[in-house]
Amino acid sequence: MRWNSYNLRRDRDLLWLLTKKETTLQYKRTILGIFWSLLNPLLLALVFYIAFIVVLKMQKKDFPLFLLAALFPWTWFSNSVSASTVSLIGNRSLIKKFPFPKHFLLTAGVFSQGVHFLFSLPILTFLVYYYGKTAHAIWLLGIPLFILVQFILTIGVCLAVSVINVYFLDFQFIVAFFLNLLFWITPIIYQLDTIPEPYRFLSCYINPLTPLMSSWRELFLSNKMHWDWLVNAFLSSLVVFFAGLIIFRKLNRRIDEVL
Amino acid sequence: MNECVIEFDHVWKGFPLHRDRPGFKEFMVNIHREVRRKGERNKYFYALKDLTLRVERGECVGIIGRNGAGKSTLLSLMLRTISPSKGRVRTMERVTPLLELGGGFHADLTGWENVILNGVLLGLTKEDVLKKLPAIVDFSGIGEFVDFPMRTYSSGMYLRLAFSVAIHTDPRILIIDEVLSVGDEEFQKKSKGEMIKLIKGGVTTVFVSHDLHAIQEICHRVLWLDHGELVAEGEPAEVIKKYRGRDIVNPVSL
Repeated sequence: MRWNSYNLRRDRDLLWLLTKKETTLQYKRTILGIFWSLLNPLLLALVFYIAFIVVLKMQKKDFPLFLLAALFPWTWFSNSVSASTVSLIGNRSLIKKFPFPKHFLLTAGVFSQGVHFLFSLPILTFLVYYYGKTAHAIWLLGIPLFILVQFILTIGVCLAVSVINVYFLDFQFIVAFFLNLLFWITPIIYQLDTIPEPYRFLSCYINPLTPLMSSWRELFLSNKMHWDWLVNAFLSSLVVFFAGLIIFRKLNRRIDEVL
Repeated sequence: MNECVIEFDHVWKGFPLHRDRPGFKEFMVNIHREVRRKGERNKYFYALKDLTLRVERGECVGIIGRNGAGKSTLLSLMLRTISPSKGRVRTMERVTPLLELGGGFHADLTGWENVILNGVLLGLTKEDVLKKLPAIVDFSGIGEFVDFPMRTYSSGMYLRLAFSVAIHTDPRILIIDEVLSVGDEEFQKKSKGEMIKLIKGGVTTVFVSHDLHAIQEICHRVLWLDHGELVAEGEPAEVIKKYRGRDIVNPVSL
């Protein structure tokens, strides 16, 4: 009964509507609206600029572009994960009243943050030209591939985090801490080469965000695709995805008793 | 005609009793008591016990019982928003809930945005909801408010719109929990009439109510639940008579 074409169309519509709801509600009744999703990382970049370039006098060519090329994709990941910690609890009234797949709420959350990320691509393109570089056809291959890998990774983390937080509310604070830690151990405000050796190797293979963020940056800064990074990121993202899926399915079974 | 659309096969549903675990501070302050209570933490409260039932297509089944008898748990299981602890629940068709109305609405979205989301959550495609939108708005009588965020609505308008969406989604199986009293008197009459029209029109209905007159009037069959178990089942008049008689047999339970 579930898998006829009518229900598939209905599921597609539901996912679309939930995504739209997330996207519009996040900045509803604010004056700048969806521009906040761009303004937030830009203001964060300004903070880092002041701290590293002005105060610490770090020498870094084209720092704003260098930083934002990784900071925008990071923001997509980080905002999705923090939103997912409360997405099941926050939508309790929907879950209790309507029969629909719960993971739609998480997928819609990642999609909605993804929409904000897409809006940041024109800004990056502008910065690329501003610093005297050019766009390249390789972007058309790189951007969709990186988005796909990052989506797999993000949804995997969100699946696990959202369902664990229903049983164990303290988890959202732990997640906030780990996001912070992850931000500083991933090459976002510094580049991969800065990490000293045994750790660089470890970081590349254990933290899927390391090759992923480095790939985004290389693409925008030097129009290069590092296939080995992409393969690393893809494989480790798959591991995270399946781990997340298993945790979600296991804990989802009894979730109605505690939600 | 004798096609089964809802089937419960030895269904149990339990909830853990210790749902709010103590925080760290309470635990330390009451450590002697908490340690003693450790065993209790795995206790389950069974809201439904070994329930087997069938609902056939086109039937209207009434469910009666005192508060806490397991009626709402039964409806949630039919709706598949909760799953049984033991046993099996099967529903062969889409189930449309008329329970605590308006739960799916978001106050910051406009009336029609909410209608579309609600209609899709109830199992229609967006295209089909859009087709029914004029009829939904018309029936609810909220008029031009449909373009405004729902936080501007009165609580009556909220309920009327919710009711209106649910009955316009072409329901196959309706489950109703005490919602015959929606809005003012006029709307109550209108909504009751609409529900009776659906039931007479052959929509399978499961109807929970404390209003025994309404049950007797509408239902073909009545189930009496008590403490999660089926006490009696059959002709509405007979079961209701037994249900009313329970207090005379056992006056203490008053």
